[in-house]
Amino acid sequence: MSFEGLSKESTEKRRSLLESIYLWEVVKGLAVTGRHLVHNIFHTGDMPTMQYPEEKRVYSDRFRGRHRLMKREDGTPRCVACQMCSTYCPADCITITAAEHPDPAIEKYPATFDIDLLRCVYCGLCEEACPCDAIRMDTGIYEIAADSRDKFVVDKEFLLNEQTRGTR
Amino acid sequence: MAKLTIDGGAIEVADGTSLFDACRLARGEALPHFCYHPDLSIAGVCRLCQVEVEGMPKLTIACNTAVRDGMVVHTRSEKVRKASQQILEMHLINHPVDCPICDQAGECGLQNQYMAYGLYDSQVTQGDKVHKTKAQVIGPEVILDKERCVLCSRCVRFCNEVTKTGELGIFNRGDRAEIGVAPGQQLDNAYSVNTVDICPVGALTSRDFRFQKRVWMLKSADGVCAGCATGCNVRIDHEAGRVYRLKPRRNAQVNGSWMCDEGRHTYKAVHADDRLVEPMWRGQAVTWADAKVRLAEVAAGGFALVVGSAHQALEELCLLKQVAAGAALSGGLAGSDMGVGDDILRSADRTPNRRGLALAGFAEHGAIELAALIRAAKGAILVHGGDPAAAPEVAAALAGRQDVVYVGTHRRATAQAAALALPGATWAEKAGIFVNRQGRAQAFAQAVARPGQAREDWRVLAELLPAPAAAPGSLKVLREAVRAQLALDVDLDRLPADGALTGGEA
Ligand code: SF4
Ligand code: SF4
Ligand code: SF4
Ligand code: SF4
Ligand code: FES
Repeated sequence: MSFEGLSKESTEKRRSLLESIYLWEVVKGLAVTGRHLVHNIFHTGDMPTMQYPEEKRVYSDRFRGRHRLMKREDGTPRCVACQMCSTYCPADCITITAAEHPDPAIEKYPATFDIDLLRCVYCGLCEEACPCDAIRMDTGIYEIAADSRDKFVVDKEFLLNEQTRGTR
Repeated sequence: MAKLTIDGGAIEVADGTSLFDACRLARGEALPHFCYHPDLSIAGVCRLCQVEVEGMPKLTIACNTAVRDGMVVHTRSEKVRKASQQILEMHLINHPVDCPICDQAGECGLQNQYMAYGLYDSQVTQGDKVHKTKAQVIGPEVILDKERCVLCSRCVRFCNEVTKTGELGIFNRGDRAEIGVAPGQQLDNAYSVNTVDICPVGALTSRDFRFQKRVWMLKSADGVCAGCATGCNVRIDHEAGRVYRLKPRRNAQVNGSWMCDEGRHTYKAVHADDRLVEPMWRGQAVTWADAKVRLAEVAAGGFALVVGSAHQALEELCLLKQVAAGAALSGGLAGSDMGVGDDILRSADRTPNRRGLALAGFAEHGAIELAALIRAAKGAILVHGGDPAAAPEVAAALAGRQDVVYVGTHRRATAQAAALALPGATWAEKAGIFVNRQGRAQAFAQAVARPGQAREDWRVLAELLPAPAAAPGSLKVLREAVRAQLALDVDLDRLPADGALTGGEA
């Protein structure tokens, strides 16, 4: 690529004398800062900064938060270990081992179901791929913290438990 | 010869060829089908392979029609397309929506043909489907799901025509027709998993492979079964360093489309707990560098006796002979690894390369003879593969010796008895050639990585050569040397797909 067609003038703005001293521009900038400072002191409610974690942002219902696994009526996972989600997952962060279910009407279930939340990119393709509506990202949970990497790999029990927050 | 026109193109085939085969040649791909199988009789029951033949009042099934001179055939006309679509729809009327839990998904005839010839909107609602028994164990190896069956009768024909055991049958009529075993019977012949392979849908699944892996995650390598001297051609399906299953690869000269159930389980030895994964010096794991130092001590004066094995590849045996450099030779224990054979595929000889062993110039010995050879050896002994020390006489002769080197894959008796045990590779972890009972040299490719510190056997042997500098640089070079050594007139590096006969009695 060449820039031959571009004139030099177009990239360099001509400055007036006042501008080239800079001092006046600094004063103008400080005035803007000062105006916001005084305004915020008297109107704290308008400030864009949030007092997290006391205050929390309200996200839309469509926000993709941490996954959860859905349950059948008897409390067992709805997932049939078909591995559509792990096949589709672009981050390759779902690991499932399938096993034979004693009930031939169910046949297959996940013996283990792990998601590495550090590798997940929250794209939602797993819930889209699932033929059984067994995995959802509708928990709204986005606070995920732990003090070691392996604690971000959450297992089936964790994902099935509606009470769990954060990581294990 | 018969000249016919298929889809506007002229083609000439031998008289008596089925129209199905002629269409496959002309189209470059098979017609849609479930019941046709090249190694079974023609049933003509699925009706999917219908084609339009000019002059015939109705569509006709290609699998059960012989070619006739001057036939004009259409396989892609609107009429044919509609017919296969409707037949497929009929096959799917009572088919459950099981794909997520069905092991066949990804290699399923229904899925593939629906995508190629179906693509209609279903007119059947879930609740209207006829339900049948699911996940029924019908034998030690096979599980049957009656709902998924499309009644192609391939499995029935297999049990009637190949194993001649006749365990399976079609019971009832109409939409209640189903595959089953007679009451009190089991599908327990020695070849039962072939029914799983030929079942075009997920009605028959293998108990060993069930739910272990989705098939689209597997990668494949072309192998040769090491379970017996027949040398069935197999596909090694593997993923992330693990072999998950063996499937037969068609070789009309050797195994047709089949393999035995016992052979399918041979992959388990590859991942056994007693694999030798590190060099061992007197029972202690050592590094390869240390092992080489020990080797120089033990075998300073070369080897006095070299023992091969019918489990090793042809290239390795030829190289082993060079390592021996005139030392006493033995092919290992005569009559070891014998089982029960039959006249379908299985050989009583459960080693993959006894013919290759003889070809390379090794003679086997009985346990007492071999023990005598060991006692007579006035220097170091090299044992490559097999487990001769499983025989008590040989174990007794080896006991107490501090100059035995073993190259092998498992920590069995011989590895324990050896002062120095070096880890080699199994058939899944290296490339090589086995010579089967017909004298047919067949190449197998490497599927998975070797575990731990294990190395390709020929590279280990190359270091043991009296003049290591003269070692072959690659398997290709080694194969060329083997070809010259054995005076074979085939390029061992590019064996034909169905192998090459090496002479001797067939
Ligand atoms: S949200 Fe995307 S990256 Fe995360 S587990 Fe699902 S498919 Fe994988
Ligand atoms: S796609 Fe759904 S049913 Fe299939 S394994 Fe994933 S969560 Fe389970
Ligand atoms: S047999 Fe094929 S179509 Fe039927 S459930 Fe299995 S994968 Fe799906
Ligand atoms: S079980 Fe499979 S092979 Fe046997 S008839 Fe049914 S679909 Fe065909
Ligand atoms: S393949 Fe011809 S009828 Fe089934």
